[in-house]
Amino acid sequence: MTDQHDAGSPGAPPVYADATVMSGAGTAMIELESVDKFFDDFQALKDIHLKVASQEVVVVIGPSGSGKSTMIRCINRLEEHDAGRIVVDGIELSNDIRNITEIRRETGMVFQSFNLFPHLSVLDNVTLAPRKVRKMPKAAADQLGMDLLTMVRIPEQARKYPGQLSGGQQQRVAIARALAMNPKVMLFDEPTSALDPEMIGEVLDTMKELAASGMTMIVVTHEMGFAREVADRVVFMSDGQIVEVGTPEHFFENPQEERTKLFLSQIL
Amino acid sequence: MTDTAETLPPSAPKRARDPHRRGPAVWLRRNLFRSPLDGLLTIVFGAISLWLIYKTVNYVFVTGRWDVIRVNLRLLMIGRFPDVHVLRLAVTVVALGAWGGFIAGFIRGRQERSGRVPHGERFTAARALDIVMRLWLPAVVVLLLLLLSSTAGPWITTGLALVAAVAGRAIGPRFGRLRPGPIGAALIVTAIGAVPVGLYFYVVTAVGFDDWGGFMLNLFLALCAIVLCYPLGLLLALGRRSSLPLVRVVATVYIELVRGAPLFVLLLLANVALGFFVPDTLAPSTSTRAIVVFTLFTAAYMAEIVRGGLQSVPRGQFEAAKAGGLSPFQQTAYIVMPQALRNVIPAQIGQLISLFKDTTLAGIAMGVFELLRVSEAITAQESFRGQGLIAETISFAALLFWTVSYTMSRESQRLEQRLGVGTR
Repeated sequence: MTDQHDAGSPGAPPVYADATVMSGAGTAMIELESVDKFFDDFQALKDIHLKVASQEVVVVIGPSGSGKSTMIRCINRLEEHDAGRIVVDGIELSNDIRNITEIRRETGMVFQSFNLFPHLSVLDNVTLAPRKVRKMPKAAADQLGMDLLTMVRIPEQARKYPGQLSGGQQQRVAIARALAMNPKVMLFDEPTSALDPEMIGEVLDTMKELAASGMTMIVVTHEMGFAREVADRVVFMSDGQIVEVGTPEHFFENPQEERTKLFLSQIL
Repeated sequence: MTDTAETLPPSAPKRARDPHRRGPAVWLRRNLFRSPLDGLLTIVFGAISLWLIYKTVNYVFVTGRWDVIRVNLRLLMIGRFPDVHVLRLAVTVVALGAWGGFIAGFIRGRQERSGRVPHGERFTAARALDIVMRLWLPAVVVLLLLLLSSTAGPWITTGLALVAAVAGRAIGPRFGRLRPGPIGAALIVTAIGAVPVGLYFYVVTAVGFDDWGGFMLNLFLALCAIVLCYPLGLLLALGRRSSLPLVRVVATVYIELVRGAPLFVLLLLANVALGFFVPDTLAPSTSTRAIVVFTLFTAAYMAEIVRGGLQSVPRGQFEAAKAGGLSPFQQTAYIVMPQALRNVIPAQIGQLISLFKDTTLAGIAMGVFELLRVSEAITAQESFRGQGLIAETISFAALLFWTVSYTMSRESQRLEQRLGVGTR
C-alpha cells in the first residue's frame, strides 16, 4: 500500500489523483481496481482505481461524457466492465448471476429519471423488492414502506400513483424504494438533474439526512453546493479517467490539475 | 368604468349576436346552416340519411320475412343439440351467470380490501345508470331473442341466470375480502377455474363436441382460442426477444410462418391434411382442430402485439427492476409485462374481435355447423326454399356478431380508462 502512495516512484499517480486513499479508516466497502469499460471502440473508463470506505460519502463530478455515470452503473452491473476488479462489501462482481444479485441487493440506486414503476402505487413501488426478493410478508413490508415514506416525508402519498406526484416527490419515493432493501451502499446517478429548480432542495435535503445517518454513498451530481457541504471526498473525472481527488476544501480552494481548474471555472 | 356599465342601456341590436343565446333555431343555424355550402351539405346528407333510415325501418318491420328466423331460432343458437340434453345447457348458462357474478363480486372485494374502493358502497342511481350504459345493447338483443322464441325454456333460463348472477355478485365480495394464505388463495383460484372446465365436461359427456352448433359454437370456439392463445402468445413474444439464439430463431420462424399463411388455408389444412398423418380413429374432432388452428394462428399475432408492448416499456424500468435485485423472471412478471400488456390493450382486443368473427371461417373451411352455415342452410329448408331469404338470415347473424364485438370493444375502452393508459 505505502509503496503505491509514494509520489516519488515513477509511474505512480500524484497524491491528489489517488482515489484509493479513503477518508475514513477501516476496510473498503467498494473497491474498483484497474477498471476499463468500452462501448465498441470508445473507451468510457480508463484504468479506474477507487476505494470507498464504509459510511463515506464520495461525490463524483466532471463534464458530461466523462464516464461518471458509467462508473457507478458498473458497480451494480447495469453496465458490464471489460477489465479490472470491482468488489462490493467483500463480494467480487463476476459473471455469476448469484454474485450479481447479491451485490444488487446490497446497493440501492437512484436514477436521474426516477424510473418509478408507473403501474404500481407509491407504497407498492417501495415494497415490491422486499416482498419479492426478500420474501417479506405483506404486512411487514407495508410497515417498512410507510416508515421509509415517512422518512422521506411523503407518507400521505402512499396510495397514489407515481404519475400523480411532482418530480421532487417522485425522486424521494425512488430514494425510499432504494432504501427498502436495506442496502449498505447507495448510488445516486444525477438525482436532481431532471428536476425543476424549486424541487432540487427537497431531494438534496433527503440525501443530506441519509449521509448524516452514516450511509455509504457515491453521488454523481452537478450540485457543487451539495459536494462542498456533504462530501467526504470529491472525485473529478474527465475523459474516462479520475483526474483529481480530494476533500471539498482541497477541491474548491486549491485544485491542482489544469482540467479541474477549467471545469470549476466553467461551472462556478 | 362602473359609470359606463351602469348607464349603458340594454342594447337591443346586440342581442342578435349574443353568443349565449340558446334554442333549436340558433343551434340549427350554428351547426347545420352556417354557410350556404353547409346548408347544401346538410340538405343532401340529411335526405340520404332519412332515406336510409326509412329503408332500414321498412325492411325490419314491414318487408323483412323474419319467419325463417323465428322458426329456426333454436337451430341458429345451438345447432342440432339433442332435445333430451338441452336442460344441461340451461344449467350451464345459469351456473355461468352465478360464476360471472361471483368473479365480479370477488374482484370488488379484493379492491375493497386493498383500499382502492370504499367498503360496502351503496347501490346508487349513478351506479345503476353505469350498469345500464354498459349492458343495454346485449340486454336488448337478448330480449329480442327471447321474444322470438316460441317456448318458455329460454325465458326461465335467462331469468334464473340473472338471479344467479346477482346472487353471485352479492356473495363474491365476502370471499374477495378474505386474506387467505397461499394455500387458501390457490384453492380459491382453482375453484374459480374449475367451474367452466367442469361445465364443459358436464355438457360434452352428454353431447359430443361435434354435435354442438349454432352461435353457441362460435362463442365457444372463440372463448377457447382466446384463453389458450394468451400463454402461447406471451411465450412467443418473450422468445423472440430472448438472448438465447435457438429460442429466438424458433419463435421468429413460427411467428413469420403462421402470419404468412391465410387463416382459411390453415383451417383447410387442419381439416384435410391431418388425415394423411394421423389415423381417423386418433384424429381429434373437427371442432377441436378448429380451436387448435385458431389458437396457433392468433398466438402468432398476439406475440407481435405483445412484442410491440414490450418495446414500449422504457429501458429505465428494466434498470430499476434490476437494481432492486429482482430476478429476470420477476422483472418480466411484475414490472415489464404488466406495463407492456396495458400499453397494447386496443390492439389486443382488436385481434380478439377479429378471432371471434373468423370463427365463421370454420364453417366454410371445415363444415362445422356454426351460425353462418346454419344461416345458409335454413334458407334451403322446404318451406323457405327459393325465396331469397339469405338476406334476412345473414342480417340476423351479422346482428349477433356485431353485438358481441361492439360490446367487447366498449369494455376494452372501459378497461383502458380504468388502467389509466396514457396518464402515466
